[in-house]
Amino acid sequence: MSDSGNWRERAATQTRLAFGQALLELGARDPRTVVVSADTQDLLGIRPFIERFRERFIEMGIAEQNAIGVAAGLATTGMRPYVCAYAPFISARSMEQVRNDVAYARQRVVIGAAASGISLGVAGGTHHSLEDLALMRSFPNMTVIVPADIEEAYQATLATQDIDGPVYLRLGGRVEEPTVTDPAVPFRCGKARVLRPGNDVAILACGAMVSLAVQTSDDLRAAGIDARVINVSSIKPLDRETILAAAVETRRIVTAEEHHLTGGLGGAVAELLSVEHPTRMRMIGMPDAFASIGPTVKVREKYGMSAAAIERACRELLDAR
Amino acid sequence: MSESRAELLTRLERAAQQIRRDVFRALRAGGGGHVGGSCSAADILSALYFHRMRVRPQEPEWPDRDRFVLSKGHANAALGAVLAQAGFIDPAILDRFYHFDSPFGMHPDIKMAGIEMCTGALGHGLAIATGMALGARMQKQAFHTFVMIGDGELHEGSNWEAALAASHYRLANLTAIIDFNKIAQSGRLTELVGLDPMADKWRAFGWEVREIDGHDMGAVVDALDSLPFHGERPSAIVAHTVKGKGVSFAEDTYLWHSNNVTDEVYARAMAELGAR
Ligand SMILES: [Mg+2]
Repeated sequence: MSDSGNWRERAATQTRLAFGQALLELGARDPRTVVVSADTQDLLGIRPFIERFRERFIEMGIAEQNAIGVAAGLATTGMRPYVCAYAPFISARSMEQVRNDVAYARQRVVIGAAASGISLGVAGGTHHSLEDLALMRSFPNMTVIVPADIEEAYQATLATQDIDGPVYLRLGGRVEEPTVTDPAVPFRCGKARVLRPGNDVAILACGAMVSLAVQTSDDLRAAGIDARVINVSSIKPLDRETILAAAVETRRIVTAEEHHLTGGLGGAVAELLSVEHPTRMRMIGMPDAFASIGPTVKVREKYGMSAAAIERACRELLDAR
Repeated sequence: MSESRAELLTRLERAAQQIRRDVFRALRAGGGGHVGGSCSAADILSALYFHRMRVRPQEPEWPDRDRFVLSKGHANAALGAVLAQAGFIDPAILDRFYHFDSPFGMHPDIKMAGIEMCTGALGHGLAIATGMALGARMQKQAFHTFVMIGDGELHEGSNWEAALAASHYRLANLTAIIDFNKIAQSGRLTELVGLDPMADKWRAFGWEVREIDGHDMGAVVDALDSLPFHGERPSAIVAHTVKGKGVSFAEDTYLWHSNNVTDEVYARAMAELGAR
């Protein structure tokens, strides 16, 4: 790729745009790459792909069910479809197509789900996506990945080339996502990455919560508390080994996600630990309520998705010793 | 010597009756199932698999094969019957309909040879077939994609999303066959939610439409032989059919959409469908 080097500039700290830039690279690498849009050309930054690979681009319009069904049909012919969509709509509106046509039929369809969580905060609860991880994680055959930043989003998108089955890639919206991962430590599906060492408590985070976890760890370190931070971008398959090691070595686990507390990262970790190594936990995420309307960061903070809340959770576990 | 038209039609009609007999064979093995929609589709399935479609039963994954998607997946007994008759699967599988760990259940499953997609949740097949037709075009493959849709199934809005997209992309390599038997699970469509004027709906969505009697083998063959109906539009065959066709007690009634098939029912059906 002649111009792939500039992808970081064009991704502009947003995972949704890094996904689009990675598609440009995949388009060049594999002639079977085909991009399916649901009127989401700018949302996922796919205009460069469209310009370059016009014949491998399909606009489906605002029809998510059709986009998934068509992608599944394309996959049966040997093409490698990437569906570009809004997380709240592709996970809920077309869930039956995802379950039957993609997961059950085990077709290699990759869903790039942008505007996840409460990144569309001002749009209101109809446009928040706070249950998609629970839904997608419950399907057999499905791989579920939540990149924390553009480096990881780009690498994870490229990595889908080698995943033999459907993938749900949860991406952010028009919000800044600070870089927290080390580009030199490559993304591997099913592998969680330790971003901060520490044996007092472990914070397991995904997506936008990872940078807050790093900030929390740095703040706690000044107070003499060593909080391990693990970026669990691979929700499914889960990195059992890394998570169990954290539970054994720190004895205190805090999970943090921009998702309902039901069924997401915290749920996945709790399912693992309750069976394999019961461990005291605190879970940061959206409680059982529809979120308020408002700017993303303010709404997150209202429901405890903030560095301050993560720190409180760590201290609670430490005080309970 | 090549086959005359009369011989062709006779052969296909006989194959269709064999499909119906095998439907009852499977349904008896399973204790019951979807009689009505399986029998209304039998003649068209016969013409597709034994006349029109280019397939290789011994090489079910042959990349250039024509594709068939049974969107009205509850008629899977008929699809299994035609796949058995064509040689895709061992006919002994018909006796394992609904059985534990069988590849042959109520709805098509890609676990079974010759099945292109897991369908039966209604309103999925047309989008999938549209994707197959697009895949053929992108890879410059000549295969044609057929999808059979139930009439009641057209209540699902997802069909119309796909109908829009297929005509927008001028998919002349795609044919939808509507098994228009006028009846769904709970009764007549006119008493549920009406679908008339059926053909006009497809025309309005940009499809080239032909209406036929789906049990007139000559008409079925002529329609399939005329595909595509238009060089830049997907084709729709609105096939007027009779639910339960060929078995008098099951014809034109919602009561036999799905029902138990006892040994006694099986014997009555076979008596009408002609012994082998
Ligand atoms: Mg019907």
